[in-house]
Amino acid sequence: MVSIRDNIRDFLHGAAYGQYERELRLQAAELNDLFLLLCYMEIVGLPNPATLYLLDVYPYILQQFHLWHRRMGMNKSPLGTLPCC
Amino acid sequence: MRRLLDKRVLFFGGKGGVGKTTCASAMALAASQAGKRVLLVSTDPAHSTSDMFERPIGPEPVQLLPNLFGLEIDGAFESERYVSNVKEQIRGLFGHHILKEANRQIDLAASMPGAEEMALFDRIGALIRGEDDRFDLLVFDTAPTGHTLRLIKMPELMEAWIRALSRSRRAMLGIDQDDATDPVMLSLAERLEHLREFRARLLSPRVSAFILVLVAERLPIEETARAIVQLEEAGVTIGGLVVNRILPATSPDPFLRSRHDQEMIYLDEIDRRFVSHPRVRVPQLATDVHGVKTLEHLAAFLATERVPT
Repeated sequence: MVSIRDNIRDFLHGAAYGQYERELRLQAAELNDLFLLLCYMEIVGLPNPATLYLLDVYPYILQQFHLWHRRMGMNKSPLGTLPCC
Repeated sequence: MRRLLDKRVLFFGGKGGVGKTTCASAMALAASQAGKRVLLVSTDPAHSTSDMFERPIGPEPVQLLPNLFGLEIDGAFESERYVSNVKEQIRGLFGHHILKEANRQIDLAASMPGAEEMALFDRIGALIRGEDDRFDLLVFDTAPTGHTLRLIKMPELMEAWIRALSRSRRAMLGIDQDDATDPVMLSLAERLEHLREFRARLLSPRVSAFILVLVAERLPIEETARAIVQLEEAGVTIGGLVVNRILPATSPDPFLRSRHDQEMIYLDEIDRRFVSHPRVRVPQLATDVHGVKTLEHLAAFLATERVPT
């Protein structure tokens, strides 16, 4: 059960941050894209000395890659070498 | 060069064909006979330590003598091992679909140019960090100078990369997630820690030293001078110089005498230009060096030293 206290807290939180939420989400998405680019540099043709050290994080960022190509308005992965869906 | 035996990591480098493998092998042998447990590591893709000890040495340590082990690092082997380790590591963590895609990506990334060099670097890093505690001393027989300088600068370069990646990841997480629990962040942090330790040991004068091998000729002298500048710039300690294959002074043959006269000029130049570094002179032996007996003979010369004045 949600207490009045929680309700008030959520209300104040929304009043304070609500208008910035879209902005924050956009910013998070952009930073996310930058990180993806840094991880997948090799695939777009830029040499990346750290490629081998990123192999074990690939499964974690696959999901983000999926979100990225959907957000960019592409139903399928645009990179032939990086299949997604 | 006896005092160098107290270090944990010794590199032998220099121009191609000056006798790096010979000197590294002799040093490793001397250390093993002094009671150290020694691993002689060849990083040159064109390995020749197995020819020196007249027996096959592979990508895993092989015992050569009671206290002496040999290892010939192989980029393709290391890259394959690295990849299978990663696949093993992620196997239990993800569902079938993600794993299939991830494995495909991993195979692709591992086939990129540079992956083998990178895997080789990773193995060297693990060795220098002391991952294998069976050994007191690692003696590296390196590839010719250019290749090795790159390898020595790599921890710093990689560290900068991983740090940039962590920064980018942290900035992103700062907005909607905690970074102490993020597996990507944790993986990057571990890499960074390893690289830091690798670099710290590589640059510690107590732990590591670089020995430059040269012969008394124009080109090796110039290359050695450049290597010293670059190594010192990178912060690596120079353990000393080995001037290899000096011709005997007394010879009735005019051809050899003329070579010897020229050599004397270069030897003077070496003493003058590298006055601040310990130097040893090793004569040209009557027969070529391979096998334990001749190496022992050679090791005796490495023990004599001209200290910097």
